[in-house]
Amino acid sequence: MGFLDRIREVVEGLTVHGQSTSILKIKAQIDNLFMIITLGDMLGIPILPPYYSLRLVPYVFPNIQNWKRYMLRERDFTDLVS
Amino acid sequence: MFNTPAPYILLGLVLYFLTYRFYARWVDKKIWETDPNRPTPARLYFDGVEFFPVSKYVLFGYQFKSVAALGPIVGPVVATLFFGWAPALLWVIFGNMFIGWVQDYSAMMMSIRSEGRSMGPITYKLLGDKARKILLIYIIFYLIIITAVFEWTIVDVFNRVPGTFTAVLFVLAGGVVFGLLIFRMRLDVLLATLVALAIVLVGYFTVVLLPYARQPGTNFLDSSEFFVSHNFDKRLTYPGTFTVLFWLIVVSILYYISSITPMPRFLLPTVYVGYLPSIIALVLVLIAAVFTPISGLAIQQPAMKEFYVDPLKDPRGGPLWPILFVTIACGAISGWHSLVSSGLTSKQLEYETDALPVGGGAMMTEGAVALSSIASVMVLERVTGTAADYVQGATLLTTSLYRIPAVYMSILYGIFVAVMGLITSMLFVRVFRLVMAELFEDTPLGNKHISTLLIIILSGFLAFVGSWTNLWVFFGGTNQLLAALALLLVAIFLASIKKPNAYVFIPGIFMTVTTLAALAWETYVYGLYGVLNTPMPVQKSVAVLYGNTLVQVANILSAAFGALLLVLGVLMSYYLLAGWAKYRRGQK
Repeated sequence: MGFLDRIREVVEGLTVHGQSTSILKIKAQIDNLFMIITLGDMLGIPILPPYYSLRLVPYVFPNIQNWKRYMLRERDFTDLVS
Repeated sequence: MFNTPAPYILLGLVLYFLTYRFYARWVDKKIWETDPNRPTPARLYFDGVEFFPVSKYVLFGYQFKSVAALGPIVGPVVATLFFGWAPALLWVIFGNMFIGWVQDYSAMMMSIRSEGRSMGPITYKLLGDKARKILLIYIIFYLIIITAVFEWTIVDVFNRVPGTFTAVLFVLAGGVVFGLLIFRMRLDVLLATLVALAIVLVGYFTVVLLPYARQPGTNFLDSSEFFVSHNFDKRLTYPGTFTVLFWLIVVSILYYISSITPMPRFLLPTVYVGYLPSIIALVLVLIAAVFTPISGLAIQQPAMKEFYVDPLKDPRGGPLWPILFVTIACGAISGWHSLVSSGLTSKQLEYETDALPVGGGAMMTEGAVALSSIASVMVLERVTGTAADYVQGATLLTTSLYRIPAVYMSILYGIFVAVMGLITSMLFVRVFRLVMAELFEDTPLGNKHISTLLIIILSGFLAFVGSWTNLWVFFGGTNQLLAALALLLVAIFLASIKKPNAYVFIPGIFMTVTTLAALAWETYVYGLYGVLNTPMPVQKSVAVLYGNTLVQVANILSAAFGALLLVLGVLMSYYLLAGWAKYRRGQK
């Protein structure tokens, strides 16, 4: 990696990295809401699995593992500071 | 040569380099035994949202942005005012070399080795629920105090450097426009940045080139008679005045907006746009400090002043130990950093070996900011102990080297200080609101409007009545006690995995004793003024305008805050030391 690329990345960290992480979180929250509504039973939320959920499974399958990890992760107020 | 700031700043930079090259690498290799092949939480628990690997250069920038604010700027100014520049310089250099980077890096490594957990869950895991709850309450009070301190600092700059507010408004407007262009119109980032920068530049040059745009002027809402009759300096900021109230309301409105609006709509784009001029300002002043032998700017401040400042003479001072060590907070060591290190950065490190350049490197860069602040205040003839001193000193340094009219530089540094302070304190208000929501989710206190108003009113009151000056020591005390607690927590963690921990334990004990002593001292000072029923010198304007009762309420409230923080700090230290002893026994 060249010197200019490093500088570019440092500037990215100084400026937009926090923003992009925050946007990812907001997007994830919306996606998670959708997943909970449709596939919440996977996490023990009492939702009767409807026919539509089953039809969605092939599409959401690649995200299921990450979604479960994100939803079930222990969270704390000290996570909120950054 | 030795009568200029250059050799001292260079000495600091060289020592930082040597620390990073030898001591930090030794700790990294021998104690933590970092291994690029060991999977980090970012790779192990990849979720694409919180856990995902990011380049160390990006994370270095992010970490630096998250930790560097007004702390490394104001602290050295206040310390130089009381004790002279030499003790301030020594603490910034040696504090950072042996304690500052140690805390940031170690907290990050501890989080990496704890599956990316932040301070709260690690405390819970190692010490139990009681210790975690004490930490939580402690952080709530810490946030109120730190917000009050930053709020006053911004108000002081807005008042003493006319035009700064107008320029900052343009920066905020640039941020909002940037956010709209990116999120609503889906414009290219580079193009949107150029538009935002154009707005910032229009604001900057409007203020610089059009003198009538530098409004409102200093103390514009208060009559000259008030200043003359009480022998107050019209160029300074006095608590309790209408001008201060006006600026506090303005800042509070900004806090409120930033707290209740979604992050990408206001706070984040503002951070992005605000940091661009700030980086330029920072680089310019560091270069100017190193080239002072060429510019010919000599040191004006004495190297050493006093070892003990009588609290009845000036309550902001005190004995050199422990007051100096808490007056200079972020430039030497800061507890906020451990929260940032374990909150987000540790979850995105691609390799374990990146923790040193990101955690340690960012802290040493912040040390360089503190060095620039000391350089700025060294060349001033008169120091008042506020951020406006930094603006004046940095202006003097840079104008003498670059031969640019002073107004260009003073507005640039006014923007720098105000934006750094605003952005960070807006984040504090938001974090306070989120923590309150976590704690009191089903009660009115958990409501985002009520919790935001609560911190705005409390911190605004403390700033308005002039308690801020001593709150700076409280801020340093609470901030560094948090750092001490983080260091001890790391020592416990290392003991629990049977590793040597003296390199964190010894600084942790030193910081614990020092900060508890500082909190006790400050509680005593507030109590002393309460018992004597007299306003502190800085509160005289409040006593003149509103009577002694209001001042008394503020001082008693501050003393109560101090006593509470002291008790919480002692309790937390007890839990940590008991925990350390327990794990240490297990280690043998």
